[in-house]
Amino acid sequence: MDANPIVLDESADDVVVVVVEGEHDIYTAPTLRERLDEALERRGGVVVDLTGATFVDSSVLGALLDARRRALDADQGYVVCVGDQVEPGVQRILDITGLVPVLPVVGDRAQAIDYARDGVRG
Amino acid sequence: MTGAAVVPEVRLTMPARAEGVGVVRQALAGMADALAFDAAVVADMKMAVTEACTNVVVHAYDGEEGTLEVEMLADDAALTIVVRDWGSGIQPRPARREAPALGLGLPLIAALSDSFELKGSTNSGAEVRMTFVADRSLDPASLNPVTGTVGADGRWDTEADADA
Repeated sequence: MDANPIVLDESADDVVVVVVEGEHDIYTAPTLRERLDEALERRGGVVVDLTGATFVDSSVLGALLDARRRALDADQGYVVCVGDQVEPGVQRILDITGLVPVLPVVGDRAQAIDYARDGVRG
Repeated sequence: MTGAAVVPEVRLTMPARAEGVGVVRQALAGMADALAFDAAVVADMKMAVTEACTNVVVHAYDGEEGTLEVEMLADDAALTIVVRDWGSGIQPRPARREAPALGLGLPLIAALSDSFELKGSTNSGAEVRMTFVADRSLDPASLNPVTGTVGADGRWDTEADADA
């Protein structure tokens, strides 16, 4: 079992959710980039769900920001969600970098999926 | 040694590879638990040491094999973490890289540590020394905030206006 899985959930219409759990840094960032590439290739909305993540560093933020830029360029909706109980190892870096409104970051996954879908429809 | 209050507690020496960064973080978590630091300070330590080790992995050896050394030195009031390499020294940009680096590492270290010091010069390696106090009166991120936001090139732009 991978203690730090990154998997795609394609159960929502028009939106792919990249589910990121556990600790992620420069070691797993290449895998995250691959999963984000796969999600973007579906041409719909993309949600990155960090609810189960306990730690993300700037390598992860770099991957999330690159994917965001590509989603914007292709008119694909792109939203990050973190859940209601956010780990300090996730919340702190989002807070001090000011990236919450940039990525953007919301709490609830269902809301994130709606936003990402709306983003696709413009 | 002169019998100073700060003595080496933990020293890790390992190849400067991506898979080692999590190992350093786990060792730090164990040491911080033993010292009963506040959870918010421990979270900041883990983030800062991750960024410092990542800098070594990405920038120090230009794709060649090299060594990453981490020392953790504790006294009653603080934990000092030293991250050291023997690589190409401090340079404004890596000579070669796979995915473009965001360039947020040092701003994050400055914002998360209660004090930090950077030493090094071209071809003589580099050392980042970060200190975290157990009983914080101020959030260091309020004293040394991360300025700027991500630029159009995907790198962090410290001059950019985050609200623009």
